Amino acid sequence: MSLVGKDVVVELKNDLSICGTLHSVDQYLNIKLTDISVTDPEKYPHMLSVKNCFIRGSVVRYVQLPADEVDTQLLQDAARKEALQQKQ
Amino acid sequence: MSFLKSFPPPGPAEGLLRQQPDTEAVLNGKGLGTGTLYIAESRLSWLDGSGLGFSLEYPTISLHALSRDRSDCLGEHLYVMVNAKFEESKEPVADEEEEDSDDDVEPITEFRFVPSDKSALEAMFTAMCECQALHPDPEDEDSDDYDGEEYDVEAHDGMEVDTTPTVAGQFEDADVDH
Repeated sequence: MSLVGKDVVVELKNDLSICGTLHSVDQYLNIKLTDISVTDPEKYPHMLSVKNCFIRGSVVRYVQLPADEVDTQLLQDAARKEALQQKQ
Repeated sequence: MSFLKSFPPPGPAEGLLRQQPDTEAVLNGKGLGTGTLYIAESRLSWLDGSGLGFSLEYPTISLHALSRDRSDCLGEHLYVMVNAKFEESKEPVADEEEEDSDDDVEPITEFRFVPSDKSALEAMFTAMCECQALHPDPEDEDSDDYDGEEYDVEAHDGMEVDTTPTVAGQFEDADVDH
């Protein structure tokens, strides 16, 4: 299940929300988005003309995923397995 | 612009990836002049013609982006959002040292770097991505340790689960004076 190419909204710890198409993610959860739009353009007018961005993983608070693209059962199972593996 | 200071430009020892001359720097909408942008593995630096400039540490860079809007008064440029405060009257202040009343609000500073050579923007953006990947946050050892299911104490039939801390000898008979 890959969400690359799907639209997501990334909410940063500084309260900025950025909507865009997921381009890639790395092991540190650094996120690259293309075709972005800012949900609060009055606060950050300089970002209006930005198309591609790279977001540092450590400043991300939430990533809003499209509900119909996510298999929540699969995600829960995978997360549990990984948590167990990390314990060992 | 008193936060500008003089320092030698980064070189190979600092892992210089890209050097972009003739690049204007803009801080929160205010032009700082034209200089050279140095994208090095250790930090991002900009120096103007007189040798004055500033450096940005990658862990403080929240995001960077390419602005492709040619109708923007600046033209195409590299946008960098920094989690620190840069004021004209004092040195850059990290979050913890901020004395303003709104302590809960994270400081945000917007930089824009406008190279005269627009074709260099993609390479500048990519170089910054590579450098950011070299500076992940240190792993927080306390996070991800708690797993609700693992610590739940399950009671089986007939078993009493006592989770209160025991005092040595609390179950011994009390001393009786005869």
